[in-house]
Amino acid sequence: MNENSDLPPAPDVAGTSLDGTEVYVISAEENAALCASTGVAPAADGSAHPIYYYIATQVAMGKTVAGVCNVCEFDVDDGPMMGSSGVVFQKPLMVGAPYRVKGKILGLARKRSRKLGVMDVLTYRLSLQDEADAEVLQTENVWVLPRRELA
Amino acid sequence: MSYAVGQELPTFIIESVSPEAMKQWAVFLRDPNPIHLDVEVVKAKGLGSRVINQGPANVAYVMNMLLAAFPGERIEAMDSKFVDNVYGGDRLEAGGTVSGVADDRVNCDVWLRADGQRLVISGTATILTQRVL
Repeated sequence: MNENSDLPPAPDVAGTSLDGTEVYVISAEENAALCASTGVAPAADGSAHPIYYYIATQVAMGKTVAGVCNVCEFDVDDGPMMGSSGVVFQKPLMVGAPYRVKGKILGLARKRSRKLGVMDVLTYRLSLQDEADAEVLQTENVWVLPRRELA
Repeated sequence: MSYAVGQELPTFIIESVSPEAMKQWAVFLRDPNPIHLDVEVVKAKGLGSRVINQGPANVAYVMNMLLAAFPGERIEAMDSKFVDNVYGGDRLEAGGTVSGVADDRVNCDVWLRADGQRLVISGTATILTQRVL
C-alpha cells in the first residue's frame, strides 16, 4: 500500500497553461544593477546575466507566483519553497531583446515529508522564445508547497 | 585552456549577503514576499531571525563562479537543488569540480555553502566551450 494513499488527492492541475501574454525585455540598467548585486560587472558583449533564465520566465509567464499557488489551491502566504531549478540554454540571453514565455504545469504530487509533514510538489516547465519564435531556453522548476493543515 | 576530471574550480565569494540587495531582487522578480524584506515576518513565521535571500540570487552566485572559471565560455545547462536557506549577513562560497570532459563540453558538480559549512545549493552544470580541449 502506498504510504500516501490515505491523503486526499492533490488538485489535478497538470496541463494548466502558463503561456505569457507580455513581452519581456532585459534592460541594460536592470542587468547592470543585478550583476552589481551579485558582485560582478555586466558582460561586455551584450549578453545578460544567465540568471535571467529564471527571472524572465517567472515575470513573463501567464500567472504570478500567487496565481500559480492559487491554481494549486495553496495560499502564497503559507510559504511556497523552491525545491529545484533546471535550465538548458539554446543561446545566450541578450540585453534589449524581446522575449515571450510558453509553458505549463507538469504535475502536482502530494507526499509525506519527514521535515515538512505533508507537502505538494509542483513541477512546471517554461520555454523562453525570441522574436522569431525560436526557443532560447527551457527551464523546469520544482516548488514545495507545505500542507500543514494535512499534517 | 584544458580541463581535467577532478579539477577544482576557483571559488567565488560573497563576503556578506546584503538585505538591501534582497530589496532589489524583489523588484527584479516582481515578487514582494516579505520573508525577503521584513525580519519581523521571518520571526513570526518561525523561519529564523534574519531575512532570507531569494533562491535565484543564490543560483546567480554559482553562475558567477562558473563564468569566472570558464572565461569566454557559456553555461549550456544547469540544475540546482535548494538544500537550505541563505540569510542576510551570511558569508557565501560557491565552488565546483570538473566531473566530465567530452568534445566541446565540460560537466561540473557545483555547490554553494554558507559560513564555510552549511550546504545551501548542490547541482550540476554543463559548460559549452569554444576551444578544442
